[in-house]
Parts: sequence; C-alpha cells; structure tokens
Amino acid sequence: MRKMTAVARKEFRQIWRDTRTLMTLLFLPAFFLLLYGYALNFDIRHVRLGVDDRDHTAESRALVSAFVNSGYFDLAATIDDPATTKRLMDRNEVRAVLVIPSGMGRAIQTARPVAVQVLLNGDNANTATTVMGYALTIIRSESARHQPAAAPAVPLVSVEPRVWYNPSLRSTLFLVPGLIAYISMITAVVSTALSIVREKERGTMEQVRMAPLDAASFVVGKTIPYFAVSLVSALGIIVVAMALFGMPMRGSWLLLLLALSLFLIGALGLGLLVSSVADTQQVAFQLAMLASFLPTLMLSGFIFPISSMPRFLQLVTYAVPARYFLIALRAIVLKGAGLDAFWVDLVALLAFAIVVLTLASVRLRRQWV
Amino acid sequence: MRRVRFLIWKELIELKEDRRLFGIVILAPIFQLFMLGYAATTDVRDVPIVVADADRSAASRDLIARFEASPNFTVVNIVTTTGDIDPYLERGRAWMALAIPAGYGGRLERGRPQTVQVVADGSDANSTNVALGYATSLVAGYAQQLAVARLPPGVVVRGGIDARVRVWFNPRLESRDFMLPGVLALLLLVITTNLSSMGIVREKELGTLEQLNVTPLGRWELVVGKLLPYALVGLVDVCLVLGVALLWFQVPLRGSVWLLFAMAAIYLLTTLGLGLFVSTISSTQQQAMMTTTFFFLMPMIYLSGFIFPIENMPAVIQPFTYLIPLRYFLVILRSIFLKGVGLDTLWPQAAALAGWGLAILALAIARSRKRSA
Amino acid sequence: MTAIAVRDLTKRFGDFVAVDRLTFDVAQGEVFGFLGSNGAGKSTTIRMLCGLLEPTSGAATVGGVDVSRDPEGVKRRIGYMSQRFSLYERLTVDQNIRFFGGIYGLARVRLEARRRFVLDMAGLHGREHMRAAELAGGWRQRLALGCAILHEPPIVFLDEPTGGVDPLSRREFWALIAQLSASGVTVLVTTHYLDEAEHCHRVAIIHDGRLAALGTTDELKGVFANRAIVEVQAANPVETMRLLDQMPEIEKTSIFGTSVHAVLKADRQDATPVLKRRLESAGMAVTSMAPVQPSLEDVFLDVVERAG
Repeated sequence: MRKMTAVARKEFRQIWRDTRTLMTLLFLPAFFLLLYGYALNFDIRHVRLGVDDRDHTAESRALVSAFVNSGYFDLAATIDDPATTKRLMDRNEVRAVLVIPSGMGRAIQTARPVAVQVLLNGDNANTATTVMGYALTIIRSESARHQPAAAPAVPLVSVEPRVWYNPSLRSTLFLVPGLIAYISMITAVVSTALSIVREKERGTMEQVRMAPLDAASFVVGKTIPYFAVSLVSALGIIVVAMALFGMPMRGSWLLLLLALSLFLIGALGLGLLVSSVADTQQVAFQLAMLASFLPTLMLSGFIFPISSMPRFLQLVTYAVPARYFLIALRAIVLKGAGLDAFWVDLVALLAFAIVVLTLASVRLRRQWV
Repeated sequence: MRRVRFLIWKELIELKEDRRLFGIVILAPIFQLFMLGYAATTDVRDVPIVVADADRSAASRDLIARFEASPNFTVVNIVTTTGDIDPYLERGRAWMALAIPAGYGGRLERGRPQTVQVVADGSDANSTNVALGYATSLVAGYAQQLAVARLPPGVVVRGGIDARVRVWFNPRLESRDFMLPGVLALLLLVITTNLSSMGIVREKELGTLEQLNVTPLGRWELVVGKLLPYALVGLVDVCLVLGVALLWFQVPLRGSVWLLFAMAAIYLLTTLGLGLFVSTISSTQQQAMMTTTFFFLMPMIYLSGFIFPIENMPAVIQPFTYLIPLRYFLVILRSIFLKGVGLDTLWPQAAALAGWGLAILALAIARSRKRSA
Repeated sequence: MTAIAVRDLTKRFGDFVAVDRLTFDVAQGEVFGFLGSNGAGKSTTIRMLCGLLEPTSGAATVGGVDVSRDPEGVKRRIGYMSQRFSLYERLTVDQNIRFFGGIYGLARVRLEARRRFVLDMAGLHGREHMRAAELAGGWRQRLALGCAILHEPPIVFLDEPTGGVDPLSRREFWALIAQLSASGVTVLVTTHYLDEAEHCHRVAIIHDGRLAALGTTDELKGVFANRAIVEVQAANPVETMRLLDQMPEIEKTSIFGTSVHAVLKADRQDATPVLKRRLESAGMAVTSMAPVQPSLEDVFLDVVERAG
C-alpha cells in the first residue's frame, strides 16, 4: 500500500510540473464541450431548395409557398433548365429540387391526378431521409387540401406525439451527454497511454523494477493521480453542460459520480493497458487512437443507434465502455431513473475496469520478470 | 538531392523494423474501416415499441398488426394500461410506446376522428425524429385506407398530388456510402499526423535529430527525407482502405480513381505538414500527442462536416470551418465517390486544400531550423 | 595554422549567461580538451561551434568559416559526436555506416573504403549485422566515432564521448583520438573526467561559462609553482583535515581517496616536518606525509575555487 502511494505521489508530482499538459487536461475538455455543444446539432432546417416550376399557375405557386412556409425549406434557386439542376446538385448548392410539371394547375382544377418530382441530394444520406419526410408531408397535406372527399379535414386516426425526457427534441440534449462521454474518454485514455511506455523508452523503468514493487501496485498507483485529474476535468464538462446548455439533472448526483468514476477508471485502465503493451510511444499513441478515437464516436450509440447495427458489430460494442456510460448518463440526467434502470451497465463498467487493469498488470509483470 | 535517398531508405528500414508500428499503420486502417463501415447506418430499423392497448378490440389489434408487420418496428410487448409502459422506456427496453385508448374501436366504427398517443424516448433525438416520422407515416397511411374503405360505393377518388421522389447520387440512401469516404479521410489524418509529429519529436528526444542537423544536409532535404516515407505509407493505406470499401462494401466509385489519388496526395501534404508543425512546438512525445489530439484531431472530427453537417452550425462558427483542410477533402472525396464529378467542379476545393497544404508545410518548415536561436 | 579561433563567444538564455566571453585558439592537429563540471557551458560552446546554436555575441571561426554567418559551411568541414552516441538503434552497424556515409555524399568506392576503415578501427568486423541497440557500450562509442569521421573531416568535435563506458574502452578510445591527431585532424573534446585531460595537448578549464584556465597540463600545474602539495596518510582523514585547517601554514585541504591533500601557502615548502610533529602531538597517527606532484584534480579544484 505504501509503495503504491509512492508511485502515485511521484506520478502526481510529474503531472503537476508539466503545466502545459495539466492545463490541457483540466480546462480544454470543458472548452470543447462549450464549442461542440454550441456548434453541433442534427436539427435540419433551412434546407436549400431549388424550384423548377414549369407550370406558373396559382396552384403551382401555392405548392412552392407551402414548402417555403413550412419553416424547413429556404428557396435557394429558381431553375429554368435541367443543366442548372445538375450543376446545383453537383456543387451541393441545393439539397432538394422540386420539379412541377406544366399542366399541374389545370389537372388539379379538373380533379385529375398529377405527379410532382422531388429530387433529393443523396450526398448526405443522414439528412436526405429527413428532408424526404418533410417534403412528402408537405405534398401530402397540399394534396389533401385539394381533395376534401378522400381525406376528411380531420383524419380518422392521427398520431399525437409525446416526447419524453426531451419534449422539444432538442438535439443538444441528446448530443451533450454523448459529448461528455466522448471527451472524457479521449482525455482519460490519452493521459495514461504514454505514462508507462515513456518510462520504458527513457530507461527509468529499470530503476523502478529494482524496487520490490509488484506490477499491480505500480499500475494502480499510476491510475490514481490521473483519476483525480480526469474526474475534475469531467465534472468541469458536466458543469458547463448544465450551466450553458441547460442539461437537466433529474437523477441522483451520487449515482452520477459513481457511474462517472467507474467509466473514468476503465478509460484510464485502457490507456495503461495500451502503455504496457506498446514498446515505443509512437505505437502507444496509434493504439490508443485506434481503440478510442473512432470507436467511441461510432460504436457507443452516441450517433448511430446500436440496435440498427448488424449482430456481430453489436457484440463488439459490448467492449466499448462509453456505450454503458452513455446509457447510465442519459438515464440519470434525462430520465431521472434509479439504480434499477441501469445497474447492469454499472456492473459492465466495473467489469471493464477490472479486466483492463488486470491485463495491464499481468502484461507488465511478464515484462519485468 | 541524391542524399535524400538515404534518409528515405533509413526511415523505411526503421519503420519496417518496428514490427508493431508497421503492423498498425498498415493493418489497422483496414480493420477500422471494416468495423466502422458496418456501424455507420442511420437507417432506423427494428425500433422496439411497447403497446398499451386499453381497447382490446379487433380494430385495435388491426392497428397493432400494422406495426408488427412494419420492418421499422418490433413490438416488444402489449400491455393494458398506459401506466405499465413507464418501466419499458425508463430502462430502454423500448424507445416508443403506442397508447390505444379505450373505446377506440367503437369511435372508429362511428366514423369519429380520434388520436392515438405515441410516446417516444427523446433522449436519442436523432433516432426519435426518424422513428416518430415512421409512426406518423404508418398511421396516416392506415387512416387513408380506412377513409377510402368507408366511402360509399360509386364514389371515385380522383385527383390529388402525388410525389415522385428520386434520390440523386445515392439512390439507396445508404448512409454507408456517405460515411465510408469520411472514415477513410479521418483514418488517414490520424495515422499520418501521428507518424510525422511523434516520429520527429522522437528523434529530437533521442538526439539523432541533432546528429542530422550537424550534417551539411539542407533543411528541405531533411523535411522531404522525413515526410516522403510517411506519404508513401499514407498512399498505401489509401489503396488498402479503398480496396475494402470498393470490394467488400461495394461503395460506388463513380469518379476517377486517379483524381482520387491525386487529391489524396495533396491531402497528405496537409496532414504531414500538420504533424511537422506540431513537432516544432513540442519538445516531448507526450506533448506532441496531446497537442495533436486535442488541438487538431478532435476539432477536426466534429467541425469538418464528417458527421455533423456544416450548414447546421451556427453562422458564427461556419467561417472557422474554412480553416479545416479535412472539410475540403471530405467534399472532394464524397463527390468523387457518389457524384463522379471531375476537377472542373471540384477545383475550388482542390485549390483550397492545396493552398492549405502548402501554407502549413511552409510554416512548419520555416520553424524547423537546423540551428536553434 | 589555426583550426578554431574563438573571440568573446557568449551565449545568453534570457538572464542566464551560459557561456561568457570565451576566447581561445586551437591549432591544426591539436587535441584540445574542454574540462568542466556539468552545466559549466561545455556542450553549449560545442553546439555554437558546430552551427547548432546561434551565439548571442562574439565570434568564432572553424576551419576558416565564420560560425555565425555560415553555419552550413562549418558543417561541411567538421565531424560531431554527441553525448548520446546518436546512432539509429534499429539499424545494423553496416546500415548506420552506409547511412551516414550516404548523407555526407560519399561515392560508392570511397564509402566502401571508409566503411572498412571504420570497422577496423572500431573492431566491429564480424558484427556488421548486429543492430546498434545490441552493441555494448565500448563498441557503440567507437561506432559513433567512426560514423562521425566517415567523410574525413579536418576538425572533429566530441562531446563527452566517454560517458558511461568502461575504463578499458576509454583507454582504447583515447588511443584512437591520438591516432586521429597524428594524422593531422584537430580534435576538440569535452569531458569531466580529469584523468583524461592528461591525454590532451592543451586543456581549457571552463567554470560558470567562463574560461578559468588554459594551457598544457604542465603549464596548468604551474599554478602550484611555489605552493607545495603534501599528501597525508593518517588514521582519521576527516579529523586530520580539521587539525590541519587550523594551522597557519595551510592554505586549504581536501580529501583525496583515503588520504588528505594539503596545499601549503606560498613559499612554505619546508614546513612539512613541523606539521607532522604537530599532528602527532595532537594524537593523530600519521602513516606518511610527503610532498606530491600536483594532479589535474588539484589544479581543477584550485582554479574553480579561485574563479568562483
């Protein structure tokens, strides 16, 4: 126990003296939350619309107005020929083009069916689906306006949507917990990834090996100071989220602290594992990035829903700690749920932490013998 | 310039000898692309939905059947009262709930309009939006059919505006085709920036950089000798990742492969230049890693348009995204893949990318002097 | 023929003066030693002379080239071996040689001849395919020296070349340096091993960035021209020192291994028997007490004390 404290104290002193790193670890994450929370959202508005109106009747103009007045579309260009359409689409200057055939007005007046074309820029599939939904809804309601018989003013059955936990469906409320998880994870992994391998490269490891210190104490001793720094840093992020983005806190602070701690220890442990496996700092960096940078973004359920992924990949996501933390975080912060809702995820986080720290110790012990 | 050959040769040997690093920079991109290619899907399928059926009539069962039949939904359970749905949503066992009120069937028979509640878990707003859209569409289509069925015989429904949707560039709306080029660009960025920044700082730490500075080798020769091998590694990575994307995932490549490689080469100028720049402001590898990760990699992943569209960002932030080389390369890459356009359309982006590359390199080279002040 | 000429060379880092108005000359073919404790300014000086560091003020020419104005020109004429024996660990002995030869622009035939020379000199025949990381200290040292002189530079700078190397290898290394010098190469060596300075033609003692003394070893020892140094072997060296320090004839004392060196004040050479009697009457058993020739260590301590 005493040896572990000695390791921890030395590591802490080293961190303290490296001001640039310390400031980066403590303050930059909160700044990033501020930046990204402000900059990023999935809400799709101001969709640039191009209109190729070949009819020029009151009815066609009404349809165009319906689009513009919906609040989702901005009229970006009036198009006269197909070549322009191609050019605008190629350059991403429009996201959708509404093509109204000549004769639409007459068709509506004589109650004959008519079809309008909606060209979607499939460049960004994520947004295209949503834009398509908007466009179809607008067209359907315009159509209903001209067809009172088929569609009664009030449909027989309609949906009354209720959104829980995030009534205005502000994507910020959804993004911010994800950002918290992401930024904390990367910060933690990066801070420990070089800690062991640096000593290996410099040769100071030899000195440590001389002491009768077992690998496990060494690993745990190294984790402690970084845990302190990461915890402060993560709490800073959460404070910014609540103060500046209105992220609510509907659950228990104690549970949040518990979930956060388990998550951070696991992340730090991952960094240490990388550090114990790598023999040069370059390799450690690449491994750390590989294990955390893109996977945490794409496999944690932050952006892409896990349930939509193929089975084998869903299994892989069980190894991504951010997955569990995100569930627990959202449950505590947005749903106000109790332990019974996410205890499984906490256990998973604990298991992850134990596994990585154990692997790191084992690896180190084998190298020391 | 002949002497540069030796620098390149030395660098490649060192890379080859470092088995682990070599393995990582060559194999990891393939592995990552493979995994992430499958992850990138915004198609919302099999949304778990729980139904509270207070009516238990043939009509309510009919509606539920529609949901069960839809590939977008998976009915998790059917309960009786709305109170019973709470635990499902809280625990995440269902994202949505459909609440059919008592008397639904009766009102339907009498032709009285009514609503059913659809409750959604808003903590994942992205998917919720889409799922709500599906539910609304499904019910609207169902209501339409009911209305038509109730029309007196002989009345023909005529007219109406029909929408024909055509999706350009990505007819299947396969988000993978959009994401994979982005993943390629990002992988290239992470790997090559790391190689150059850490690699140079490492020589600084070991003292071999000083040994090179004391030779009559020119500054340009030293830079080229250090970065060219990494550029080669980068191009090899492009080949490998392209192979996986085209052969395995069958992402369509509608444009010119040569243009792609040419653009990739320019892009590598920016990433390597960035790494070189970081090496001139870092004295230890730890610093290089921190600086690269926090000040360059992380902002780039979020603000380049990789996942979050730039046009959605607040007007204040958008001008800053012009500073991110990745932004241009993403547009170029996605356009070459999906649209098959050529330089005539892409020249503004290509020029910006090249401009940035040269600027960063020039700045970095100016800072890497052989003699310290 | 002056190979290196230094005039008032100064280097300041903010307020800290690392090198303070150094002035000296080194003749062609000379082995010139730079002696000083860690942090005295030796490495800083070498870096300036090699064109790796820009001087704050003053001037220096190496091989006739002005260091401030044409650092690249200097680099064509010199070889440099750094403190850390900068070799490429993952490359083999052969690959290291080929690399350094290549970047100095040696043509194939000449490179081959030099390669054989270096392998000979370093005793590395048969070890060409060993990685530099696998070599023991002495061989690495010689390989590093070899790589520094592949291009046959007329002037060579060696920065603490014997750090962490066993005594036998050190001796062999200095033999190599003597060979180099005999072939007309100017060698400037920094070291903090005082015994090695004896191998140099001339030695400069650097203290706190300033030139504290300069000359051949004999000239340096001349500081003790009229001050005798007496070596005292006694039962309790520490107590002996204390007793001697109280005697008026003694200028200063220091511990040398297990004995005490006492520097007598000027013109007090004959005081030895008196001192011995006093020690014995104080109860100290004195095994021997006789004057000795001043060593460079004595010179160094004396110079440093006077300068500081």
